[in-house]
Amino acid sequence: MKILVTAKRTPDPYSKIKLKPDGSGIDTSNIKFVINSFDEIAIEEGLRKKEKFGGEVVVVSIGTQECVEQIRTALAMGADRGILVDTGGRYLDQLGVAKILARIVEDEKPDLVILGKQAIDDDANQVSQILAELLGWPQATFASKVDIDLNSKKAVVEREVDGGIEVDEVSLPAVISADLRLNQPRYASLPGIMKARQKPLKTVKIEDLKVDVSPSVEVLKFEAPPQRQGGKKVKDVDELIQALKESKVLPF
Amino acid sequence: MNFGDSQELQMVRETAEKIYKKLEGKRHEIFQKIKRNEFVQEIWDEIAEAGLLGAIIPPQYGGTGMGLLSTAIAVEELAKYGIGNALFVLTVVAESCIVRNGSEELKKKFLPDMASGKVKCALGVTEADAGTNTFRIKTHAIGKNGRYIINGEKTYITGADVADYILLIARTTPYSEVAKKGLPKMFGLSVFMVDLKSKGIKITKLGTRGIEGMNQCTVVFEDVEVPAENLIGQEDQGVWVMFNGLNPERILAGAGAVGLSEFCLRKAVEYAKERKVFGEKPIGAYQAIQHPLADVKIRQESTRLVVYKSAWAYDMELPPQEIMFLANCAKYLSAELLLYAVDRAIQTLGGAGFMEDNFLIILWDSARLLKTAPVSNEMILNLTAEHILGLPRSY
Repeated sequence: MKILVTAKRTPDPYSKIKLKPDGSGIDTSNIKFVINSFDEIAIEEGLRKKEKFGGEVVVVSIGTQECVEQIRTALAMGADRGILVDTGGRYLDQLGVAKILARIVEDEKPDLVILGKQAIDDDANQVSQILAELLGWPQATFASKVDIDLNSKKAVVEREVDGGIEVDEVSLPAVISADLRLNQPRYASLPGIMKARQKPLKTVKIEDLKVDVSPSVEVLKFEAPPQRQGGKKVKDVDELIQALKESKVLPF
Repeated sequence: MNFGDSQELQMVRETAEKIYKKLEGKRHEIFQKIKRNEFVQEIWDEIAEAGLLGAIIPPQYGGTGMGLLSTAIAVEELAKYGIGNALFVLTVVAESCIVRNGSEELKKKFLPDMASGKVKCALGVTEADAGTNTFRIKTHAIGKNGRYIINGEKTYITGADVADYILLIARTTPYSEVAKKGLPKMFGLSVFMVDLKSKGIKITKLGTRGIEGMNQCTVVFEDVEVPAENLIGQEDQGVWVMFNGLNPERILAGAGAVGLSEFCLRKAVEYAKERKVFGEKPIGAYQAIQHPLADVKIRQESTRLVVYKSAWAYDMELPPQEIMFLANCAKYLSAELLLYAVDRAIQTLGGAGFMEDNFLIILWDSARLLKTAPVSNEMILNLTAEHILGLPRSY
């Protein structure tokens, strides 16, 4: 079974994000970059399915040459080969990213694409859905459990929804997006890191894919969320209820 | 010259960080075990799974050959979160002796199991009358019929109660004979891998403190049989085998101390930013608090450089004298650094510094131990004066 997974380069969720003074983006000077946490879960799921059914895990990253770091980490975790789509630093919106992935899928013809449900930088949560639509494939998003039956070529996917757990069945090939509780990603062991040296990593220039990625979304400005205002101390429960009513938290 | 991490070393750092995150949920449980001097198997298992025990072992014997520098970086990173394991370091010491001096047979016999974490190894050098002065070792091994018979007593042996093997240094030629024949006094010692479950071994725990979750023990050998193939290197030439292992021990002890100093700094800085005593300014605004912490940071960076350089020198197989000098620098500076760092962190936290849950007062024991072991800082000064500066031997 051939599985395609993604590895977006995002700031470490534990790092402190500072904005550039002109609001044009975040200040990346003191920031560590890692694989998007949800993509890491997607990679882990791909590896587990490969370990169970055999086959290959191909990891794709779209961005600058620096994304090689994230691809190498995925290879050290156990993926078999990497593809870097070098954007030369140009801005892509979610449609552009999905179009590029669709193009790669056409070439690679995987049985399954697993992506993180969203990236922890822009939290857009759109690429997997758009990709499924572009490919005309079934999709199961926010997966918390994935079971595959190779004979019937089907995946049974559990999704955590507000009311409980929804179970979907999709035929393969399909697009699945990984939620937080799907698995606990492994770390790259030293033997894995050494093996990654030998694994193939192909770089594709974005121009060579002949895909129209001109963005339909324009980023105007980055703004920090407003500073939290200090709270108010109340004497007793009565005063608390009164205050909640005044601030319209309590409807009656 | 390149001082930056390679991408692979960066990945090793991330792996160490992920080990911490994986263990974070069991933090309380682990802390209680350490307090009870109980071996923390969970930490050992993660270290093994990450392949950290195989870093200096070549691929044909189950390791990666990534090198001591990657091990040092992992030890440092784990220590930043207060995670350490002395048997990890001691097992690497034994590996080093076998990798650089062992026969092909011995390598095949031990290295794969050591790389996978199946075999934990303690280090048996110190005796009641011989620690720093290794030549006075009395434990002896007599070779006959394809095996050695060992008799003697070792003391302050870290982790002997949980280890599977002990890397043992023993006399194979009595000192009197060495003296009589006019041989160099380094002659006559040999190094063995001895199964701690062998008949005739008695282990007694000592009431020492300072090593996380581990006991120091007395190990008595009474007619203990060891297969001749477990001899590392040549008979009577064990001192040179041992020197190969003592360097990584000092280097990794240094790496751990650098990491722990960062653990102290984080605690202290975090506290100093929040704690207010006089008015609205946090105590971190006072020079009396911030200057010592800045001082620790500067000492830490310089110590880290020499730790990395010494690990690099080991990996490059530079001449032994050079590796030993750098390893001694690393150990000396790191012992001074760590004790100072713990002291300043406790001072910053005031009363809270003595709360066990803040871990600083517990760390005090370990930090103090590092000035004494694996080699005392005074002995490092002696060795440096004599062998590096060419001054007369003072002792």
